Amino acid sequence: MHAGQFDHVAVPVALAAVALVDAAFAGFRAATGRNARIEKRRYNLRAAVRGLAIGAASLAVVAAVLGIGLLGTHDAGHAYDALVQAGHRMLMVLMPFAAAVVVSLAGYWLLPMRESTFVILVGLGPFTLARPLVVLAAAALALHDSHRWLVWAGTLLASGGVLLVEPWVHRRWYHEPL
Amino acid sequence: MAVLEISDLIAAWDPGTGARQPIAVADVTGRLRAAGDHRAARIVERMPATSGVLEPESVDRLLVRVHTELQRLAEELHMAERFVELLRPMLDAARSAGFRRLRVVDIGCGIGYVIRWLATTRVLGADVELLGVDQNPVLIAEASRLALDEGLPCGFACADAFALAEDATVYISSGVLHHFPVDELGDFFRAQDRPGTAGFIHYDIAATRLAPAGAWVFHRARMRELLGRHDGVNSARRAHGDRTLVTAAGQVGTMDIFLFAPIRHTNPFCAAMRPVVGIRPELSPALRRLLGRRARALHGTDDPVPSLRAAT
Repeated sequence: MHAGQFDHVAVPVALAAVALVDAAFAGFRAATGRNARIEKRRYNLRAAVRGLAIGAASLAVVAAVLGIGLLGTHDAGHAYDALVQAGHRMLMVLMPFAAAVVVSLAGYWLLPMRESTFVILVGLGPFTLARPLVVLAAAALALHDSHRWLVWAGTLLASGGVLLVEPWVHRRWYHEPL
Repeated sequence: MAVLEISDLIAAWDPGTGARQPIAVADVTGRLRAAGDHRAARIVERMPATSGVLEPESVDRLLVRVHTELQRLAEELHMAERFVELLRPMLDAARSAGFRRLRVVDIGCGIGYVIRWLATTRVLGADVELLGVDQNPVLIAEASRLALDEGLPCGFACADAFALAEDATVYISSGVLHHFPVDELGDFFRAQDRPGTAGFIHYDIAATRLAPAGAWVFHRARMRELLGRHDGVNSARRAHGDRTLVTAAGQVGTMDIFLFAPIRHTNPFCAAMRPVVGIRPELSPALRRLLGRRARALHGTDDPVPSLRAAT
Protein backbone atom coordinates (compact mmCIF):
# COMPACT_ATOMS: atom_id res chain seq x y z
CA MET A 1 0.00 0.00 0.00
CA HIS A 2 1.31 3.42 -0.94
CA ALA A 3 0.27 6.59 0.74
CA GLY A 4 -1.36 9.05 -1.65
CA GLN A 5 -0.64 12.77 -1.78
CA PHE A 6 -3.83 13.50 0.16
CA ASP A 7 -2.88 11.05 2.89
CA HIS A 8 0.54 12.66 3.20
CA VAL A 9 -1.15 15.69 4.69
CA ALA A 10 -4.47 14.38 5.96
CA VAL A 11 -3.12 11.54 8.10
CA PRO A 12 -0.66 13.59 10.17
CA VAL A 13 -3.17 16.43 10.49
CA ALA A 14 -5.92 14.05 11.64
CA LEU A 15 -3.58 12.38 14.13
CA ALA A 16 -2.42 15.72 15.50
CA ALA A 17 -6.00 16.95 15.80
CA VAL A 18 -7.11 13.81 17.65
CA ALA A 19 -4.09 14.04 19.96
CA LEU A 20 -4.70 17.71 20.78
CA VAL A 21 -8.44 17.31 21.42
CA ASP A 22 -7.68 14.27 23.56
CA ALA A 23 -5.06 16.28 25.46
CA ALA A 24 -7.59 19.01 26.26
CA PHE A 25 -10.01 16.42 27.64
CA ALA A 26 -7.16 14.73 29.51
CA GLY A 27 -6.40 18.07 31.15
CA PHE A 28 -10.05 18.41 32.14
CA ARG A 29 -10.11 14.89 33.58
CA ALA A 30 -6.88 15.52 35.49
CA ALA A 31 -8.58 18.37 37.32
CA THR A 32 -11.88 16.66 38.05
CA GLY A 33 -12.64 15.54 41.56
CA ARG A 34 -10.26 18.13 42.97
CA ASN A 35 -12.50 21.17 43.21
CA ALA A 36 -15.80 20.93 45.05
CA ARG A 37 -16.96 24.45 44.31
CA ILE A 38 -20.18 24.71 42.36
CA GLU A 39 -19.05 27.29 39.83
CA LYS A 40 -15.91 26.01 38.14
CA ARG A 41 -16.16 26.74 34.43
CA ARG A 42 -12.96 28.80 34.48
CA TYR A 43 -11.24 26.10 36.53
CA ASN A 44 -12.22 23.44 33.98
CA LEU A 45 -11.27 25.62 31.04
CA ARG A 46 -7.87 26.32 32.55
CA ALA A 47 -7.31 22.60 33.14
CA ALA A 48 -8.21 21.86 29.51
CA VAL A 49 -5.77 24.53 28.33
CA ARG A 50 -3.06 23.01 30.52
CA GLY A 51 -3.76 19.60 29.01
CA LEU A 52 -3.68 21.11 25.55
CA ALA A 53 -0.33 22.76 26.25
CA ILE A 54 1.23 19.53 27.52
CA GLY A 55 -0.26 17.65 24.57
CA ALA A 56 1.12 20.22 22.13
CA ALA A 57 4.57 19.97 23.72
CA SER A 58 4.45 16.19 23.47
CA LEU A 59 3.39 16.45 19.85
CA ALA A 60 6.26 18.84 19.16
CA VAL A 61 8.72 16.28 20.54
CA VAL A 62 7.25 13.59 18.26
CA ALA A 63 7.41 15.94 15.26
CA ALA A 64 11.01 16.87 16.06
CA VAL A 65 12.12 13.24 16.39
CA LEU A 66 10.38 12.28 13.16
CA GLY A 67 11.71 15.36 11.36
CA ILE A 68 15.28 14.68 12.43
CA GLY A 69 14.84 11.00 11.58
CA LEU A 70 13.57 11.82 8.10
CA LEU A 71 16.37 14.28 7.46
CA GLY A 72 18.91 11.70 8.51
CA THR A 73 17.69 8.85 6.34
CA HIS A 74 18.72 8.19 2.73
CA ASP A 75 15.18 7.20 1.60
CA ALA A 76 13.11 9.92 3.21
CA GLY A 77 10.24 9.46 0.74
CA HIS A 78 9.78 5.79 1.55
CA ALA A 79 10.22 6.45 5.26
CA TYR A 80 7.54 9.14 5.16
CA ASP A 81 5.27 6.73 3.25
CA ALA A 82 5.78 4.14 5.95
CA LEU A 83 4.95 6.68 8.65
CA VAL A 84 1.79 7.74 6.85
CA GLN A 85 0.70 4.12 6.43
CA ALA A 86 1.29 3.47 10.13
CA GLY A 87 -0.65 6.61 10.97
CA HIS A 88 -3.45 5.44 8.72
CA ARG A 89 -3.64 2.17 10.61
CA MET A 90 -3.73 4.08 13.90
CA LEU A 91 -6.62 6.15 12.68
CA MET A 92 -8.57 3.01 11.78
CA VAL A 93 -8.73 2.31 15.53
CA LEU A 94 -8.80 5.85 16.86
CA MET A 95 -11.44 7.41 14.62
CA PRO A 96 -14.33 5.05 15.47
CA PHE A 97 -13.52 5.50 19.16
CA ALA A 98 -13.31 9.28 18.77
CA ALA A 99 -16.63 9.27 16.90
CA ALA A 100 -18.27 7.25 19.69
CA VAL A 101 -16.90 9.69 22.28
CA VAL A 102 -18.18 12.71 20.33
CA VAL A 103 -21.64 11.16 20.00
CA SER A 104 -21.66 10.33 23.73
CA LEU A 105 -20.57 13.84 24.69
CA ALA A 106 -23.25 15.35 22.48
CA GLY A 107 -25.76 13.01 24.09
CA TYR A 108 -24.61 13.94 27.57
CA TRP A 109 -24.92 17.67 26.91
CA LEU A 110 -28.11 17.62 24.84
CA LEU A 111 -30.28 14.82 26.20
CA PRO A 112 -32.66 15.12 29.19
CA MET A 113 -31.34 14.28 32.65
CA ARG A 114 -31.99 10.53 32.75
CA GLU A 115 -30.96 9.80 29.18
CA SER A 116 -27.86 11.85 29.89
CA THR A 117 -27.11 9.58 32.85
CA PHE A 118 -27.56 6.59 30.55
CA VAL A 119 -24.88 8.02 28.26
CA ILE A 120 -22.51 8.41 31.21
CA LEU A 121 -23.10 4.89 32.48
CA VAL A 122 -22.79 3.04 29.19
CA GLY A 123 -20.57 5.48 27.29
CA LEU A 124 -18.34 8.06 28.84
CA GLY A 125 -17.57 6.11 32.03
CA PRO A 126 -16.49 2.87 30.32
CA PHE A 127 -14.82 4.88 27.55
CA THR A 128 -12.48 6.47 30.08
CA LEU A 129 -11.43 3.00 31.20
CA ALA A 130 -11.10 1.75 27.62
CA ARG A 131 -9.06 4.73 26.37
CA PRO A 132 -5.57 3.40 27.27
CA LEU A 133 -6.45 0.06 25.69
CA VAL A 134 -7.64 1.81 22.54
CA VAL A 135 -4.38 3.77 22.33
CA LEU A 136 -2.37 0.57 22.80
CA ALA A 137 -4.44 -1.22 20.16
CA ALA A 138 -3.89 1.65 17.73
CA ALA A 139 -0.15 1.54 18.42
CA ALA A 140 -0.02 -2.23 17.95
CA LEU A 141 -1.81 -1.97 14.63
CA ALA A 142 0.48 0.85 13.53
CA LEU A 143 3.56 -1.24 14.32
CA HIS A 144 2.17 -4.37 12.71
CA ASP A 145 4.59 -5.64 10.09
CA SER A 146 6.73 -2.53 10.27
CA HIS A 147 10.50 -2.81 10.70
CA ARG A 148 11.45 0.84 10.38
CA TRP A 149 12.86 2.32 13.55
CA LEU A 150 11.28 5.67 12.71
CA VAL A 151 7.80 4.13 12.69
CA TRP A 152 8.48 2.47 16.03
CA ALA A 153 9.92 5.64 17.53
CA GLY A 154 7.06 7.81 16.26
CA THR A 155 4.35 5.38 17.35
CA LEU A 156 5.75 4.73 20.80
CA LEU A 157 6.51 8.38 21.48
CA ALA A 158 3.09 9.53 20.28
CA SER A 159 1.19 6.84 22.17
CA GLY A 160 3.20 7.37 25.34
CA GLY A 161 2.71 11.11 25.07
CA VAL A 162 -1.05 10.77 24.72
CA LEU A 163 -1.25 8.49 27.76
CA LEU A 164 1.00 10.69 29.90
CA VAL A 165 -0.87 13.99 29.52
CA GLU A 166 -3.51 13.28 32.17
CA PRO A 167 -1.18 11.95 34.91
CA TRP A 168 1.31 14.72 34.14
CA VAL A 169 -1.25 17.52 34.44
CA HIS A 170 -2.78 15.89 37.50
CA ARG A 171 0.54 15.52 39.29
CA ARG A 172 1.76 18.97 38.30
CA TRP A 173 -1.32 21.03 39.14
CA TYR A 174 -4.07 18.96 40.75
CA HIS A 175 -2.38 16.63 43.18
CA GLU A 176 -4.27 18.08 46.14
CA PRO A 177 -7.87 19.31 46.33
CA LEU A 178 -8.37 23.07 46.20
CA MET B 1 -21.69 -11.89 55.60
CA ALA B 2 -21.78 -8.16 56.31
CA VAL B 3 -20.81 -5.78 53.52
CA LEU B 4 -18.77 -2.96 55.06
CA GLU B 5 -17.57 0.43 53.88
CA ILE B 6 -14.15 1.54 55.06
CA SER B 7 -15.23 5.15 55.56
CA ASP B 8 -17.76 4.02 58.18
CA LEU B 9 -15.00 2.44 60.24
CA ILE B 10 -12.06 4.86 60.22
CA ALA B 11 -13.51 7.89 61.99
CA ALA B 12 -15.76 8.20 65.02
CA TRP B 13 -16.82 10.91 67.44
CA ASP B 14 -18.45 10.56 70.81
CA PRO B 15 -22.11 11.40 70.24
CA GLY B 16 -22.36 13.05 73.65
CA THR B 17 -19.20 15.12 73.91
CA GLY B 18 -18.24 15.34 70.22
CA ALA B 19 -14.72 14.24 71.15
CA ARG B 20 -12.83 12.28 68.56
CA GLN B 21 -12.32 8.63 69.33
CA PRO B 22 -9.05 6.86 68.53
CA ILE B 23 -9.38 4.17 65.86
CA ALA B 24 -7.04 1.18 66.11
CA VAL B 25 -5.93 -0.19 62.76
CA ALA B 26 -6.19 -3.74 64.09
CA ASP B 27 -9.83 -3.23 65.08
CA VAL B 28 -10.77 -2.00 61.62
CA THR B 29 -8.81 -4.63 59.71
CA GLY B 30 -10.16 -7.31 62.03
CA ARG B 31 -13.73 -6.33 61.24
CA LEU B 32 -13.02 -6.16 57.53
CA ARG B 33 -11.27 -9.55 57.49
CA ALA B 34 -14.08 -11.07 59.51
CA ALA B 35 -16.42 -9.83 56.79
CA GLY B 36 -14.18 -11.52 54.20
CA ASP B 37 -13.01 -8.20 52.76
CA HIS B 38 -9.23 -8.65 52.69
CA ARG B 39 -8.73 -6.01 50.02
CA ALA B 40 -10.34 -3.38 52.24
CA ALA B 41 -8.14 -4.51 55.13
CA ARG B 42 -5.05 -3.98 52.98
CA ILE B 43 -6.24 -0.48 52.07
CA VAL B 44 -6.57 0.38 55.75
CA GLU B 45 -3.17 -1.13 56.58
CA ARG B 46 -1.56 1.30 54.14
CA MET B 47 -3.09 4.32 55.88
CA PRO B 48 -0.79 6.39 58.12
CA ALA B 49 -0.91 5.28 61.74
CA THR B 50 0.97 6.03 64.94
CA SER B 51 1.35 3.23 67.47
CA GLY B 52 -1.35 1.27 65.70
CA VAL B 53 -3.86 4.13 65.77
CA LEU B 54 -4.95 5.83 62.55
CA GLU B 55 -3.64 9.39 62.23
CA PRO B 56 -6.72 11.63 62.44
CA GLU B 57 -5.34 14.34 60.13
CA SER B 58 -4.60 11.80 57.39
CA VAL B 59 -8.03 10.24 57.77
CA ASP B 60 -9.67 13.67 57.57
CA ARG B 61 -7.76 14.66 54.44
CA LEU B 62 -8.59 11.31 52.85
CA LEU B 63 -12.30 11.62 53.60
CA VAL B 64 -12.40 15.16 52.17
CA ARG B 65 -10.60 13.96 49.02
CA VAL B 66 -12.99 11.05 48.62
CA HIS B 67 -16.05 13.26 49.09
CA THR B 68 -14.66 15.79 46.64
CA GLU B 69 -14.31 13.00 44.08
CA LEU B 70 -17.75 11.76 45.03
CA GLN B 71 -19.15 15.18 44.20
CA ARG B 72 -17.92 14.75 40.66
CA LEU B 73 -20.03 11.61 40.35
CA ALA B 74 -23.03 13.45 41.77
CA GLU B 75 -22.50 16.21 39.22
CA GLU B 76 -22.38 13.74 36.36
CA LEU B 77 -25.51 11.98 37.58
CA HIS B 78 -27.31 15.35 37.87
CA MET B 79 -28.16 14.61 41.49
CA ALA B 80 -29.05 18.21 42.37
CA GLU B 81 -31.34 18.53 39.35
CA ARG B 82 -32.99 15.24 40.31
CA PHE B 83 -33.82 16.67 43.73
CA VAL B 84 -35.17 19.88 42.20
CA GLU B 85 -37.55 17.89 40.00
CA LEU B 86 -39.36 16.74 43.16
CA LEU B 87 -38.43 19.41 45.70
CA ARG B 88 -39.88 22.32 43.79
CA PRO B 89 -43.39 20.89 43.42
CA MET B 90 -43.30 19.51 46.95
CA LEU B 91 -42.40 22.93 48.38
CA ASP B 92 -44.99 24.62 46.14
CA ALA B 93 -47.58 22.20 47.49
CA ALA B 94 -46.49 23.06 51.04
CA ARG B 95 -46.66 26.80 50.29
CA SER B 96 -50.16 26.51 48.92
CA ALA B 97 -51.20 24.54 52.00
CA GLY B 98 -50.06 27.37 54.26
CA PHE B 99 -46.64 26.17 55.41
CA ARG B 100 -44.93 29.39 56.45
CA ARG B 101 -41.23 28.92 56.91
CA LEU B 102 -39.88 26.49 54.34
CA ARG B 103 -36.80 24.52 55.27
CA VAL B 104 -34.90 21.81 53.39
CA VAL B 105 -32.55 19.67 55.47
CA ASP B 106 -30.07 17.36 53.77
CA ILE B 107 -29.34 14.43 56.09
CA GLY B 108 -25.78 13.09 55.83
CA CYS B 109 -24.87 15.89 53.46
CA GLY B 110 -21.12 15.18 53.41
CA ILE B 111 -19.44 18.25 51.89
CA GLY B 112 -22.88 19.59 51.03
CA TYR B 113 -22.95 19.44 47.25
CA VAL B 114 -26.74 19.34 46.84
CA ILE B 115 -27.40 22.11 49.37
CA ARG B 116 -24.67 24.33 47.90
CA TRP B 117 -25.97 23.73 44.38
CA LEU B 118 -29.49 24.66 45.46
CA ALA B 119 -28.09 27.78 47.15
CA THR B 120 -26.11 28.77 44.06
CA THR B 121 -29.02 28.43 41.67
CA ARG B 122 -31.67 29.71 44.14
CA VAL B 123 -33.98 27.52 42.16
CA LEU B 124 -36.28 26.79 45.11
CA GLY B 125 -36.99 30.43 45.92
CA ALA B 126 -35.58 32.95 48.37
CA ASP B 127 -38.00 31.89 51.12
CA VAL B 128 -36.47 28.42 51.43
CA GLU B 129 -33.85 27.88 54.11
CA LEU B 130 -31.19 25.36 53.13
CA LEU B 131 -29.37 23.34 55.77
CA GLY B 132 -26.99 20.41 55.47
CA VAL B 133 -26.30 18.18 58.46
CA ASP B 134 -23.79 15.42 58.96
CA GLN B 135 -22.31 13.61 61.94
CA ASN B 136 -18.78 14.11 60.61
CA PRO B 137 -17.40 17.52 61.74
CA VAL B 138 -14.59 17.44 59.18
CA LEU B 139 -16.98 17.14 56.25
CA ILE B 140 -19.22 19.83 57.73
CA ALA B 141 -16.21 22.12 58.13
CA GLU B 142 -15.33 21.57 54.47
CA ALA B 143 -18.94 22.18 53.36
CA SER B 144 -18.99 25.41 55.37
CA ARG B 145 -15.64 26.50 53.92
CA LEU B 146 -16.84 25.91 50.37
CA ALA B 147 -20.13 27.73 50.98
CA LEU B 148 -18.30 30.69 52.52
CA ASP B 149 -15.82 30.74 49.64
CA GLU B 150 -18.64 31.15 47.13
CA GLY B 151 -20.81 33.32 49.36
CA LEU B 152 -23.73 30.92 49.33
CA PRO B 153 -26.93 31.44 51.34
CA CYS B 154 -27.04 28.08 53.12
CA GLY B 155 -25.94 26.58 56.40
CA PHE B 156 -24.27 23.42 57.67
CA ALA B 157 -24.33 21.82 61.08
CA CYS B 158 -22.65 18.86 62.69
CA ALA B 159 -25.76 17.41 64.24
CA ASP B 160 -28.41 14.77 64.31
CA ALA B 161 -31.00 15.95 61.79
CA PHE B 162 -33.81 14.88 64.11
CA ALA B 163 -32.43 16.73 67.12
CA LEU B 164 -32.50 20.16 65.47
CA ALA B 165 -34.54 22.93 67.09
CA GLU B 166 -36.82 23.20 64.04
CA ASP B 167 -38.39 20.55 61.85
CA ALA B 168 -37.54 20.45 58.18
CA THR B 169 -40.34 21.09 55.72
CA VAL B 170 -38.67 18.51 53.52
CA TYR B 171 -35.94 16.08 54.55
CA ILE B 172 -33.68 14.89 51.76
CA SER B 173 -30.68 12.59 51.50
CA SER B 174 -28.50 11.06 48.88
CA GLY B 175 -26.74 7.74 49.32
CA VAL B 176 -27.60 7.48 52.99
CA LEU B 177 -30.28 4.77 53.09
CA HIS B 178 -27.91 1.89 52.37
CA HIS B 179 -25.97 2.75 55.53
CA PHE B 180 -28.94 1.60 57.62
CA PRO B 181 -29.59 -2.09 58.28
CA VAL B 182 -33.06 -3.17 57.14
CA ASP B 183 -34.39 -3.28 60.69
CA GLU B 184 -33.39 0.37 61.30
CA LEU B 185 -34.92 1.80 58.14
CA GLY B 186 -38.36 2.02 59.72
CA ASP B 187 -37.03 4.14 62.60
CA PHE B 188 -35.28 6.45 60.13
CA PHE B 189 -38.46 7.07 58.18
CA ARG B 190 -40.66 7.32 61.27
CA ALA B 191 -38.37 10.03 62.67
CA GLN B 192 -39.51 12.27 59.82
CA ASP B 193 -43.13 12.17 60.87
CA ARG B 194 -43.03 15.65 62.44
CA PRO B 195 -45.59 18.41 62.77
CA GLY B 196 -43.67 20.83 60.56
CA THR B 197 -42.71 18.29 57.92
CA ALA B 198 -44.44 18.09 54.57
CA GLY B 199 -42.45 15.20 53.18
CA PHE B 200 -39.13 13.62 52.33
CA ILE B 201 -37.08 12.64 49.30
CA HIS B 202 -34.36 10.07 49.83
CA TYR B 203 -32.25 9.03 46.88
CA ASP B 204 -30.10 5.92 46.94
CA ILE B 205 -28.49 3.54 44.50
CA ALA B 206 -31.10 1.48 42.67
CA ALA B 207 -30.51 -2.12 43.73
CA THR B 208 -30.49 -3.59 40.25
CA ARG B 209 -28.50 -6.68 39.28
CA LEU B 210 -26.12 -4.49 37.31
CA ALA B 211 -25.55 -1.99 40.11
CA PRO B 212 -22.33 -3.50 41.59
CA ALA B 213 -20.71 -3.95 38.17
CA GLY B 214 -21.83 -0.50 37.08
CA ALA B 215 -20.52 0.99 40.31
CA TRP B 216 -17.17 -0.71 39.74
CA VAL B 217 -16.82 0.71 36.23
CA PHE B 218 -18.01 4.15 37.24
CA HIS B 219 -15.86 4.46 40.37
CA ARG B 220 -12.83 2.95 38.64
CA ALA B 221 -13.18 5.49 35.86
CA ARG B 222 -13.89 8.52 38.00
CA MET B 223 -12.22 8.11 41.37
CA ARG B 224 -8.53 7.96 42.23
CA GLU B 225 -8.71 7.04 45.89
CA LEU B 226 -8.73 3.29 46.57
CA LEU B 227 -11.05 3.86 49.51
CA GLY B 228 -13.56 5.65 47.29
CA ARG B 229 -13.45 2.91 44.68
CA HIS B 230 -13.92 0.22 47.30
CA ASP B 231 -16.75 1.94 49.16
CA GLY B 232 -18.52 2.87 45.93
CA VAL B 233 -18.88 -0.75 44.92
CA ASN B 234 -19.87 -1.86 48.40
CA SER B 235 -22.50 0.90 48.49
CA ALA B 236 -24.12 -0.70 45.44
CA ARG B 237 -23.88 -4.12 47.07
CA ARG B 238 -25.54 -2.78 50.23
CA ALA B 239 -28.33 -0.92 48.44
CA HIS B 240 -31.79 -1.96 49.59
CA GLY B 241 -34.31 -3.33 47.13
CA ASP B 242 -37.18 -1.10 46.05
CA ARG B 243 -39.81 -3.10 47.92
CA THR B 244 -37.74 -3.03 51.13
CA LEU B 245 -37.51 0.74 50.98
CA VAL B 246 -41.14 1.34 50.15
CA THR B 247 -42.24 -1.07 52.87
CA ALA B 248 -39.96 0.57 55.47
CA ALA B 249 -41.08 4.07 54.50
CA GLY B 250 -44.68 2.86 54.69
CA GLN B 251 -44.21 2.47 58.45
CA VAL B 252 -44.57 6.24 58.75
CA GLY B 253 -48.30 5.70 58.47
CA THR B 254 -49.20 9.37 58.15
CA MET B 255 -47.63 9.94 54.75
CA ASP B 256 -48.25 8.71 51.24
CA ILE B 257 -45.19 6.77 50.12
CA PHE B 258 -43.93 6.43 46.57
CA LEU B 259 -40.99 5.28 44.60
CA PHE B 260 -40.27 7.85 41.89
CA ALA B 261 -39.23 5.97 38.77
CA PRO B 262 -40.30 6.92 35.26
CA ILE B 263 -41.31 3.62 33.65
CA ARG B 264 -39.15 4.03 30.58
CA HIS B 265 -36.16 4.69 32.80
CA THR B 266 -36.46 1.68 35.09
CA ASN B 267 -33.92 -0.33 33.10
CA PRO B 268 -30.70 -0.86 35.05
CA PHE B 269 -28.70 1.43 32.78
CA CYS B 270 -30.87 4.46 33.49
CA ALA B 271 -31.90 3.73 37.06
CA ALA B 272 -28.58 4.39 38.76
CA MET B 273 -30.23 6.35 41.57
CA ARG B 274 -33.88 6.63 42.52
CA PRO B 275 -35.76 8.10 45.43
CA VAL B 276 -38.27 7.06 48.02
CA VAL B 277 -40.74 9.91 48.40
CA GLY B 278 -43.05 10.58 51.32
CA ILE B 279 -45.66 13.34 51.46
CA ARG B 280 -48.60 14.31 53.68
CA PRO B 281 -51.77 12.90 52.11
CA GLU B 282 -53.38 16.35 52.00
CA LEU B 283 -50.47 17.61 49.85
CA SER B 284 -50.39 14.59 47.60
CA PRO B 285 -52.96 15.82 45.04
CA ALA B 286 -51.15 19.14 44.70
CA LEU B 287 -47.83 17.35 44.20
CA ARG B 288 -49.34 15.21 41.45
CA ARG B 289 -50.89 18.24 39.79
CA LEU B 290 -47.63 20.18 39.91
CA LEU B 291 -45.64 17.24 38.60
CA GLY B 292 -47.96 17.03 35.61
CA ARG B 293 -47.14 14.11 33.33
CA ARG B 294 -44.19 13.20 35.53
CA ALA B 295 -46.65 12.18 38.25
CA ARG B 296 -46.97 8.89 36.41
CA ALA B 297 -43.51 8.10 37.75
CA LEU B 298 -44.87 7.94 41.31
CA HIS B 299 -45.39 4.31 42.27
CA GLY B 300 -46.94 3.24 45.53
CA THR B 301 -46.85 -0.21 47.09
CA ASP B 302 -50.12 -1.07 45.35
CA ASP B 303 -48.80 0.25 42.02
CA PRO B 304 -45.36 -1.25 41.84
CA VAL B 305 -42.62 -0.42 39.39
CA PRO B 306 -41.99 -3.41 37.11
CA SER B 307 -38.50 -3.74 38.51
CA LEU B 308 -39.49 -3.62 42.17
CA ARG B 309 -37.39 -6.27 43.81
CA ALA B 310 -37.94 -8.34 46.89
CA ALA B 311 -36.31 -7.32 50.12
CA THR B 312 -32.54 -7.61 50.09
